[in-house]
Amino acid sequence: MRITDRVFGVLLLIVAVAYGYEATKFPVPFGGQESVGPETFPILLSIILAIGSLYMIVKPDEDAKWPAVSMLIELGVVCLVLVLFAFGLEHVGFVLSATPAVAFLSWRMGATPVKSLLTGVITSVVIYVLFTRVLELALPSGILGL
Amino acid sequence: MGTIELLMQGFAVALTPESIMFALIGAILGTLIGALPGLGPANGVAILIPLAFSLGLSATSSLILLTSVYAGAMYGGRISSILLNIPGDEPAMMTCLDGYPMALKGKAAEALATSAIASFIGSFIATIGLVILAPILAKFALKFGPAEYFALFALAFATLGGITGKNQFKTIIAAAIGLMIATIGIDISSGVQRYTYNNLHLFEGIDFLIAIVGLFAISELFFFLEQHAGDGLKQVALNKLKLTAKDILFVMPASIRGALLGFVSGVLPGAGASLGSFVSYTLEKKISDKGEFGKGDPRGVAAPEAGNNGAASGALVPMLTLGVPGSGTTAVLLAMLISLNVNPGPMLFQQSPDLVWGVIAALFVGNLVLLLLNIPMVGVFVKLLSIPPKYLMPIVTLIASVGIFSITGSAIDLYFMVGFGIMGYVLRKVDIPLVPVILGMLLGPEMEKNLRHALVLSDGDWTVLWSSGLSVGLWIVAAAGLLLPMVFGSILRAKMKRSKDGLVD
Repeated sequence: MRITDRVFGVLLLIVAVAYGYEATKFPVPFGGQESVGPETFPILLSIILAIGSLYMIVKPDEDAKWPAVSMLIELGVVCLVLVLFAFGLEHVGFVLSATPAVAFLSWRMGATPVKSLLTGVITSVVIYVLFTRVLELALPSGILGL
Repeated sequence: MGTIELLMQGFAVALTPESIMFALIGAILGTLIGALPGLGPANGVAILIPLAFSLGLSATSSLILLTSVYAGAMYGGRISSILLNIPGDEPAMMTCLDGYPMALKGKAAEALATSAIASFIGSFIATIGLVILAPILAKFALKFGPAEYFALFALAFATLGGITGKNQFKTIIAAAIGLMIATIGIDISSGVQRYTYNNLHLFEGIDFLIAIVGLFAISELFFFLEQHAGDGLKQVALNKLKLTAKDILFVMPASIRGALLGFVSGVLPGAGASLGSFVSYTLEKKISDKGEFGKGDPRGVAAPEAGNNGAASGALVPMLTLGVPGSGTTAVLLAMLISLNVNPGPMLFQQSPDLVWGVIAALFVGNLVLLLLNIPMVGVFVKLLSIPPKYLMPIVTLIASVGIFSITGSAIDLYFMVGFGIMGYVLRKVDIPLVPVILGMLLGPEMEKNLRHALVLSDGDWTVLWSSGLSVGLWIVAAAGLLLPMVFGSILRAKMKRSKDGLVD
């Protein structure tokens, strides 16, 4: 099957066209039109990307192995955990958001629940202390308020 | 001032206690990062840039720290090649050929020591080459006008896939994506907002450090999860080192030949470290047919290692003098320079000679530190390598996130990082290389600036881009770099694969 490249070729072609179209809509810069404006380079890029994506559609490579749907969902959950970590960082502080994130990751990579939790707690605390006390880099302490 | 005097001044910078301390820390960190399978030199340097940056180190200190990390990562890479038979990056592939069989024969420590010595010789000779060649090239590069620079950037992208590149169109797509990301933000010369959609966070554009960490480190995490590689791999046990002066002398000629070949292929655009180690290994095999190549000949470890490290230092020549990196890791080093407000290029040698020569001297010092560090301490590194990835990868991810967070102290950067991680995962699945994306983001602003200068000077006449002999020459090399791999690439790759398969049988 050579479907992946075709699909991505089409997607990239859409990106190229949209990107190029946006560039033609840029406001005329203050001081009037010159021979080269802010849109020249982007239009050039959109043409290059369009050529490349057309080639992908016409002559696709062999498909890569995509993981099963369950694995894709799992990767999605991992992304969500990373986003939650970033969100939590500003709201509940570094240690409380990093501990569950690290624990979850190492659990999903095959560590036992107890060991994952230990990894999470130890890593977050050590990194927090190392960065805030030794390297003097501000990390949000959050509701723990240490 | 002559080159020697400048270099001596560089040593004066690199030999202060503070600099040596940073070189030592960098060398240890780099070796560790390089030794972790799947991380590799480019990732390691990328993760550490924002940290060095936010710690408020001076430009010289950060440069010394990160160049030692770079040198250390090249050393560390061979540990996983020899003990696990897994190359950390493509150039390390040739080291597996004889390194792993040596380890299986119970000579793992000798293989590691041989490769450490060969790496040192490779870097040492190539750094001398850098000292000689860089100022000459920098002087020559002063002749470049905007049109020539534009052609040079095009050349950098065209040759980035290297002679072993698979699908040249995918390299072009990747470069275009990177350049497109670079156009996001307020256009410097006209003040027009481009692709910002009035989002305040996009006004200054997207920091390439976020992209680097996301594309490389976070996507690597996804691959680890997908492949259930959390338990790590079985590695060959380490024996007690028995290395005599005779053994060292035995591999010396192979190392020197490898270093020279590696340096040349590092300097040449598009050849890169893979070709350097491949050519060194093949030549060594041809010259000395009495040996047991592929079954654990120490010269088969020395030659590609010297070639690999020689190429890594050789690649610094075009990077420092022209601002055009030739490989993934040098692209990341360029990222480091740009984030320190240092603009590589011919002017760098005139404007901040102390910095350039400090870095070059730091390379010498770093390599010496690494050699001294590696032979006695290799056991410690091997121990750390045996920590399974299920604990290490989450920790590395956390450290990378802390680094990104510390750039601006805003969680939005972390969301972008995750986004780039997903993008990196998908691009790798579709076989679109990631290095041109990064390079596009780095070179985009300069490339556009030079295009504009050229076109403004010619009043909108596009033929100015190929009107001088120099620019025509650059365009021809660029075209050759793009077309030749289509012809020879598959042949070369088949050859490399055959020598690798021959080992398994």
